[in-house]
Amino acid sequence: MKKIQLIIILSTIFHLSFQIPKPLYKKVVKEIKTVFKTNQFSLHKIKISKEQKNNLKINTTTLFKIQNKNQLLGYAYVDKANSKVDKFDYLILLNTKLVILKTKILIYREDYGNEISSKRWLKQFIGLKTTDKIEYNINIDGISGATISAKSMTHAVAKALKKLQKLQKNNTL
Amino acid sequence: MRYIFIFAGNSVLFIIILNNKIMQKKIILITLLITIQFYCQKENTIGSKLQTNAAEKLINTNLKKGLTIGGYAQIDYNQKESDNGILDVHRFVLLFGYKFSDKVQFVSEIEYENVKEVFVEQAFLNYTINDNMNLKAGLMLVPMGIINEYHEPTTFNGVERPSMDKSIVPTTWREIGVGVSGRFDDISLKYQAFIFNGFSSVNGTKVLGGSNGLRNGRQKGAKSTINTPTISIKIDYYGIAKLRLGISGYFGKTQPKDDVQNLIGADVGINMVGLDARYFNKKITARGQFIYTAISNTFAYNLANSAKLGSRLQGFYIETAYNLLPITKKQKLDAFVRYEKYDTHHKVATNIIKNQTHNRNEITFGLTYHIANGAVFKADYQIKNNAAKNTILKNQFNLGVGIFF
Repeated sequence: MKKIQLIIILSTIFHLSFQIPKPLYKKVVKEIKTVFKTNQFSLHKIKISKEQKNNLKINTTTLFKIQNKNQLLGYAYVDKANSKVDKFDYLILLNTKLVILKTKILIYREDYGNEISSKRWLKQFIGLKTTDKIEYNINIDGISGATISAKSMTHAVAKALKKLQKLQKNNTL
Repeated sequence: MRYIFIFAGNSVLFIIILNNKIMQKKIILITLLITIQFYCQKENTIGSKLQTNAAEKLINTNLKKGLTIGGYAQIDYNQKESDNGILDVHRFVLLFGYKFSDKVQFVSEIEYENVKEVFVEQAFLNYTINDNMNLKAGLMLVPMGIINEYHEPTTFNGVERPSMDKSIVPTTWREIGVGVSGRFDDISLKYQAFIFNGFSSVNGTKVLGGSNGLRNGRQKGAKSTINTPTISIKIDYYGIAKLRLGISGYFGKTQPKDDVQNLIGADVGINMVGLDARYFNKKITARGQFIYTAISNTFAYNLANSAKLGSRLQGFYIETAYNLLPITKKQKLDAFVRYEKYDTHHKVATNIIKNQTHNRNEITFGLTYHIANGAVFKADYQIKNNAAKNTILKNQFNLGVGIFF
């Protein structure tokens, strides 16, 4: 059984490594294992037509279905957002109803504003869904000393949920 | 009070006609001819969602390498009661950074102070060892209190920095050193620990002491003398919603020159500790800071150098602000009030007399108008007092422009 699990994980990592930069894929897999409490899953890139891609401005390599055999477990959204002078990579994990289960800063590249990686701060996004309005300093608190990055992450999550809502309406998900 | 704004292309012409009743004089100022090139805003929309600017165009963030250009500036008008006013491009700082790889970055800031003086404010190499730790080496800011690290004019209220951040914490305080910084996401903790070069015991002809405490001793990385390095530590905790708490420490001795280092009174020992807090809840912001400095060997130092350095320096401030505009607006208009009390002669050795003019308090109140992310207009009034008998200090009116990109 452990061998099968290992093969699944390795094949997932191998599969992912072609679509997500190397420093990120191990972190994404680790988070999925923790959040979905399973070692048995595979990730599948969601195919989006060129027209949808243009309309929604979605990078096709950033959105994945998380499946256990043919059963859909949820979705993984990986993207970049601006920090003060650089960009950081983040992950959003959602359930099948597109409710956020977890957000995680995968790589933060500068000192300024790295407080947004705090688990406590990121917990604010858990439970939000595509119909929710997400606004900095209204339903998402900031962090003193990390205002730029906190605003940026809030905006990024809001934008991601809007995209997912559009894809859901188009029956792409 | 009337304000006239003329917008022309990328420039702003700001003319003030002031009728100042407080001073019982009709002063007409047609001053402050400030042309500001808001050249670096990538999005001109006020309160654009992200702080993006032309500098970021220079970073190809899809690549692992890149050049960054940024900066900040404050242009001030200071009007002491019954004196002539002063107009000053107080600080103009350009940031240049270069990313050699995702893990290795160089950060520098070149500062023009009062137009004529040029300093290197920061110049250090940052190596990211892992998610929890960075190795840093070079000219860096000493983490003490709030303002020394977060000193860009759009990040604090008031045209001028809090006064105790001049006299007790000698901002912008930077020295050459090496150390580590990092964070622990699970417990919302940020840490910094450095070995820095210390203050000079005597900086040219300037000795330590008096109204500005240790300020004269800053070496700023310019052919700085080192004898014994100092230790600087700061821990920030942001695990409580809306609140950020900081504790800082700085410990070591001042640096004497070779020819006097064995003489009695050649140096003093410094133990500085600081506590700070910042609160942020929708329309209300508040912050406070307390700094206590114990200085040893001041008796011998004062005797050897004809100085008047206190043996204890202490200060604090508390500030609160309220955004007068609806929270849904992208602009912010913060009305603020700050009270600060600080004393560079909190205690003195027996060979000098405690100077009560160094025991000061100030009330500053005014407005900070955030017209866009990274651009502010400021106005405030400062009521100044000290503990000396029969001393009346001149209050001060300030106007300013601040940018940070």
